[in-house]
Amino acid sequence: MSTKHSKAASAFLEHEEDSRWHNQSIWYVREKRDKMAMELSEWEALRDLSSGIKRHTITHMDQYLEQFSKQAEANGVIVHWAKDAAEYNDIVYDILSGHQVKKVVKSKSMLTEECHLNAFLISKGIDVVETDLGERILQLMNIPPSHIVMPAIHLKRQQVGRLFEEKLHTEKGNSDPTYLTQAARMHLRNEFMTADAGMTGANFGVAATGDVVVCTNEGNADMSTSLPKLHIVSMGIEKVIPDYDSLGVFIRLLARSATGQPSTTYTSHFRKARPGCEMHIVLVDNGRSDILGNKAHWETLKCIRCGSCMNTCPVYRRSGGYSYTYFIPGPIGINLGMLKSPQEYSDNVSACSLCCSCDNVCPAKVNLSEQIYRWRQELDGFHKADPMKKMMSNGMTILYDHPSLYRFSLKMAPIVNHLPRFMVYNGLNAWGKGRELPSFAKESFETLWRKGKVK
Amino acid sequence: MKVGLFIPCYVNAVFPEVGVATYKLLKNLGVEVDYPLNQTCCGQPMANAGFEQKAVPLAERFDDMFKGYDYVVAPSASCVAFVRLNYPHLLEGKHECLTSNKTLDVCEFLHDILKVDHLPGKFPHKVSLHNSCHGVRELHLSSASEQNVPSFSKIKDLLSLVEGITLLEPEHVDECCGFGGMFSVEESEVSVRMGTDKLNNHIATGAEYITGPDSSCLMHMQGIAKRLNKPIKFIHVVQILAAGL
Amino acid sequence: MSNIRKNISEVYDQPDLSIKGVQYVDTLEQFVGMSKIVGAHVQFVKKGDDINELVHRSYPEAKVIASNLPEITIATINPDKVSTPQELNGTDVAVVKGEVGVAENGCIWIPQTMKEKAVIFITEYLVILISKSKIVNNMHEAYKAITFTDYGFGSFISGPSKTADIEQALVMGAQSARGVTVLITED
Repeated sequence: MSTKHSKAASAFLEHEEDSRWHNQSIWYVREKRDKMAMELSEWEALRDLSSGIKRHTITHMDQYLEQFSKQAEANGVIVHWAKDAAEYNDIVYDILSGHQVKKVVKSKSMLTEECHLNAFLISKGIDVVETDLGERILQLMNIPPSHIVMPAIHLKRQQVGRLFEEKLHTEKGNSDPTYLTQAARMHLRNEFMTADAGMTGANFGVAATGDVVVCTNEGNADMSTSLPKLHIVSMGIEKVIPDYDSLGVFIRLLARSATGQPSTTYTSHFRKARPGCEMHIVLVDNGRSDILGNKAHWETLKCIRCGSCMNTCPVYRRSGGYSYTYFIPGPIGINLGMLKSPQEYSDNVSACSLCCSCDNVCPAKVNLSEQIYRWRQELDGFHKADPMKKMMSNGMTILYDHPSLYRFSLKMAPIVNHLPRFMVYNGLNAWGKGRELPSFAKESFETLWRKGKVK
Repeated sequence: MKVGLFIPCYVNAVFPEVGVATYKLLKNLGVEVDYPLNQTCCGQPMANAGFEQKAVPLAERFDDMFKGYDYVVAPSASCVAFVRLNYPHLLEGKHECLTSNKTLDVCEFLHDILKVDHLPGKFPHKVSLHNSCHGVRELHLSSASEQNVPSFSKIKDLLSLVEGITLLEPEHVDECCGFGGMFSVEESEVSVRMGTDKLNNHIATGAEYITGPDSSCLMHMQGIAKRLNKPIKFIHVVQILAAGL
Repeated sequence: MSNIRKNISEVYDQPDLSIKGVQYVDTLEQFVGMSKIVGAHVQFVKKGDDINELVHRSYPEAKVIASNLPEITIATINPDKVSTPQELNGTDVAVVKGEVGVAENGCIWIPQTMKEKAVIFITEYLVILISKSKIVNNMHEAYKAITFTDYGFGSFISGPSKTADIEQALVMGAQSARGVTVLITED
């Protein structure tokens, strides 16, 4: 039995040194988060508040979105509504082509990944330049991100060095991160200077004021929006929050959870376009309002895309972002993928040992493991249940429903202890791939009890 | 107070000595313990694999079998967690679940109900404590490393009552060992890597034994230890607590 | 929108947000400490000090100095007076005023007070003036205190631009300021 995830994870683990390094690098980010959490005595209270604010906001989403768009429009910002990815891509293209944009510089937005915006715009002849260093590296390599916050975490400096030698004409053999970052700075500075439009995502949209809040460490969102005359914000509708009091809670949780910093370097508030310039906000649904109606899974809308769930996830750390079939990996990715398309993304549901660590780190208290458990129950309904697991479960049920049959099987089980190795450890025995089988006891507990041997 | 002893399927089949130790210890502490016959399984393996409906008849049998007892005690944190957290909704619509609230892991029972403050035995060995996930995060047997809460560990409290013991904990103190029921075979490579990493963390403490409240975790790590020829030994917490009995 | 309304079933109330947040015994000391941790240099401006002199001493090689603050007489370019923001590229040092400092994370709120905000981000080095009387404990307090000008933009800035995208190695000066100097003034 295997899923696409388990097969890909297996291949990932074959590179022993790299996979161990991946695990350690990401665990280190979890440790940094822990340090931040332990330094604030109000940490758990903040998480409770964050969850409460999100639950309230999401269940009053219509009111807050109305308020947000009214405020933004009063500030002179042009607000658009996109019901799905196709409509979103069209709206963005219309705005860009209306301004004769040839080149867009953009800061990170998982929403644009979700809607495949870059490919769409490039196919229409518009140059799209990712400006987050990690995203730019991946764009030049033509590969997707493997983590939502640290997209290039799986790459070694030598790989980046070789890439930059080829694309940016850096020194041969120089893979010093400072040197490479400097080279990227020069290269991207030129892109910022000559871009016609800047696109950003939105970490939060504040309903009371119409602010769009964008958090970066590099300042690339600010560079993207300070030079070109056109700024387009792409915002998922679940990003709206009520007011500044709410915002304070999230800003205190976000960077601490995501990277173990007390704050990102830049927490920028965009309320208006620059004089003589234009600012647009595209509010995107793309299935989010449907998720609202999903009683078991609507709480995924609370997610603030910090990535701490994947940092703690022992399975993600040992399988890497590319093992998941959905573009967002880890615990939140398993859930979001199933919400997007249970048919297409069910392979990820196996990627969880139900350890519940993710639940404990999530700053918005999304009940991730419980939702994964729920999805597993629903798989059979989608005809996606693994046939081997189904068979094993059926087998167990028969045994467990019939105590006398079960007792008989326990009596027989110790025979396995004495079978020749080739009969036990072969392709059919998944347990035996990396472990020895346990020895079945000669006399089960029940047998001992019945014989009066338990005193 | 009458206690019904629940012996999970794999304890019954593979680690009956854990059941025996549980019985002996409870009797030694003056508890009236009974073991209803024809027990099979709590249903967790099927449910975690995605077939929780198959656990419903097991939940019904469990509820019926144990409803007359004051407490149901089992030497398995994950089985107890499953009963407490899932039986109420598995039995929803049929009848109110009578047993979930009074089903406890043996460590919880000893610590919270009996409030044991003295144990007769000796275990003069270095022991590394395996903080099983469901024990930590579902039963709150100890404070989870992710959370900013006052630090506590019911199992450490109990084990430190045993004379001579040297109690150690590994780095990544409550990271999952990778068993996860069917996860261990569906994602066997990830599971083995998780188990190997956890095993190595335990071994690095210098301990002679690895102990924990869940034989499933121990069984998984033991399988890996044997394959890798590591000499470290495995023992359930209740066996240490019952040492000498 | 109607899909949203249709799908909302159970509603939740807004929780009580009157959280105080961490309070420091010495807020200024915490702010200075955090500023250094996030990579900024911190200097105290005593009464009678010439800010221009302090800026020059911190960045003696600087040739292009941008500021619209009247007290920065060494400025060679004014972000209010350029015709395009691109003209500000090549700025060695930009001097701006912060309005609120946050002790818990070393952030300083800088509302846009100049025609081209590019000056804040395009500069090689950034000097931020902040009055020591305007330092608060945490973001809850900060969000009650910040204001905007008509330009409608502001940013909390905490140290220089940074990235750890290559192998988690921390590098300063990713896309924006390579270095930041915080000048804490008396008034």
